[in-house]
Amino acid sequence: MALVEVRSVTKRFHKGDETITPLDGVSLDIDEGEFISLMGASGTGKSTLLNLIASIDQPDNGTITIDGTQITGLSRTRLAAWRAGGIGYIFQTHNLVPVLTAWENVELPLLLLPMSAAERRTRIDIALRAVDLSDRANHYPRQMSGGQEQRVGIARAIVAHPRVVVADEPTGDLDPQTSTQILHLLQRINRELNVTMLMVTHDPEAAAIADRQFRLDHGKLVQVSVPEPAGTGSGEI
Amino acid sequence: MLRFVPYILKTLWRHRSRTALTVSGSAVALFVFCFVAAIQQGMDDLQERQSAKGTLIAFQANKFCPATSHLPQDYDSQIARLNGVKDVVPVQVFTNNCRASLDVIVFYGVPADRIQSARDFQLVTGSWSEFESHQDSAVVGRSVATRRGIKVGDKFSIGDISVNIAGIFRSSDPGEENYIYSHLDFLQRTRGANLVGTVTQLEVLLEPGADPDALCREIDDTFRGGPVETDTRAKGAFQAKSLGDLVQLINMARYLGYACVGLVLALVATTTIMSVEDRIREHAVLQTLGFSGPRVFGIVMTECMILSFAGGCLGVGTALLVLKVSSLSVAAEAVAVAFSPSLGVALSGLTVSVFAGAIAGIAPAIHAARTEIVPALRHT
Ligand SMILES: Nc1ncnc2c1ncn2[C@@H]1O[C@H](COP(=O)(O)OP(=O)(O)O)[C@@H](O)[C@H]1O
Ligand SMILES: [Mg+2]
Repeated sequence: MALVEVRSVTKRFHKGDETITPLDGVSLDIDEGEFISLMGASGTGKSTLLNLIASIDQPDNGTITIDGTQITGLSRTRLAAWRAGGIGYIFQTHNLVPVLTAWENVELPLLLLPMSAAERRTRIDIALRAVDLSDRANHYPRQMSGGQEQRVGIARAIVAHPRVVVADEPTGDLDPQTSTQILHLLQRINRELNVTMLMVTHDPEAAAIADRQFRLDHGKLVQVSVPEPAGTGSGEI
Repeated sequence: MLRFVPYILKTLWRHRSRTALTVSGSAVALFVFCFVAAIQQGMDDLQERQSAKGTLIAFQANKFCPATSHLPQDYDSQIARLNGVKDVVPVQVFTNNCRASLDVIVFYGVPADRIQSARDFQLVTGSWSEFESHQDSAVVGRSVATRRGIKVGDKFSIGDISVNIAGIFRSSDPGEENYIYSHLDFLQRTRGANLVGTVTQLEVLLEPGADPDALCREIDDTFRGGPVETDTRAKGAFQAKSLGDLVQLINMARYLGYACVGLVLALVATTTIMSVEDRIREHAVLQTLGFSGPRVFGIVMTECMILSFAGGCLGVGTALLVLKVSSLSVAAEAVAVAFSPSLGVALSGLTVSVFAGAIAGIAPAIHAARTEIVPALRHT
């Protein structure tokens, strides 16, 4: 059984008289430890699909099951509890809480879980070390560069050991060099920590680091690559 | 919720000028609220204490200011003969100001050997024997002493009266601490011409169980048609009548108190709404991380209540301090109402601030808790 099972999911938006159907009967299986990338032109529904899997949005039809829990149909409060331990979300614009330090930002999701202060500390230290920011723990977001902020965002997404981490254009705001660093970081986290990852990107190079690549087109999901034996995306230019 | 307090405090600190303005605004409102509550407390004290005591005051009929009431002093023996009367104390009153004022000096002239039985005074400094052995000596209430900077051994003069201060007393009745007590015959003589033999009023102490209303009527009937008619009332009623319009004013001040509560509410609500509007996206991010609606609600409510409680503490604290130090009172026709800065006043001020904070926070907190995550995240 796949870790994430998306079954015939449809999502519609109404804008006045117009109905947009960015997702039209989409199905997708993601195995534990897999790295999936999702491409598509702007406005095709990539974020919408990602948000459904992250359970911050609900489909009009279809079901999504993660690790045996059918998350479509849970109440708002149950969903929030599920997200706390089950989902890590990496935003395009990192969305750190500006009044909190890097350390406190990473701590936020852990405050929702039953955990001793000592264990919290250990987890935060490990997460910050994983993104190589131990020396910036007490810095505020405004004192950090875009790449550093995004790394804090990544640490915050993985600190609770979620079942799935989703990333919505995590390098969209960054310069090419920093983007490459972030992509490597995501890849490392996927491999070394065995974190299941779903990444939306419009950059084919970025998409290529994934195990499988998908493309959204007119409401349908199309797989654009089969799993390749070891090798990185950079070799395919 | 405790573990989120650092986050809440940091959020408040981030907008420190807004926070400071809201806190000081609420503080000013609660300062006023405490003043109103304190004077109201003083009024309640006055009426409760005196009517419970079973004391009547006989005054000259149709006179209002103590300066114009002149009862023959020998009425006391006639009243003392009535059934239910325990004792009658003749009192000469002198005041520098008959109208409503914040700084009235009131002299009560009472037979020197009767003060201690008619009142519950305890000397803070000075001695009773010193007072009793000198005609021109006086004991002063703590509040007057503080207000006028009077010490034992001082000479205190007002108008044509000049007394030597033999002691400073405190009383369970804060109103009493605004008076100066001197010898009856001294006050009768110093005021010049024909006051010897007359007093301003007679204080009638009743036996337990005596009917005050019936005795008031009986006393007034006794002197009806005589050279000077009396108007006798229970001491509480007498004081309320003396204070007259002041009672109405003080009761009206109640609305000032309500207005202050409204002010705190409006201030804190405005700030909280602004803070929630500022952070629609932040709240959506928190929800994405797994914060539930109720948790976001709690965070906003806590923020709001910290704001108004901080304002409450500041306002109540300052008000109590100022009231304590200034020993304020208002008086009219020689009856003083003390601003009583009691624990009850402080508690009601703090309670008001907490409740105002809670009420002000509910709408914005619900708004924040109900934020639709995806639209809020798309919102830039
Ligand atoms: N909350 C919403 N209300 C109305 N339309 C929306 C909403 N969210 C997304 N859409 C529309 O759905 C389509 C897909 O959006 P999105 O998933 O954000 O696209 P992508 O991430 O691929 O750029 C777009 O046309 C967008 O305008
Ligand atoms: Mg998008």
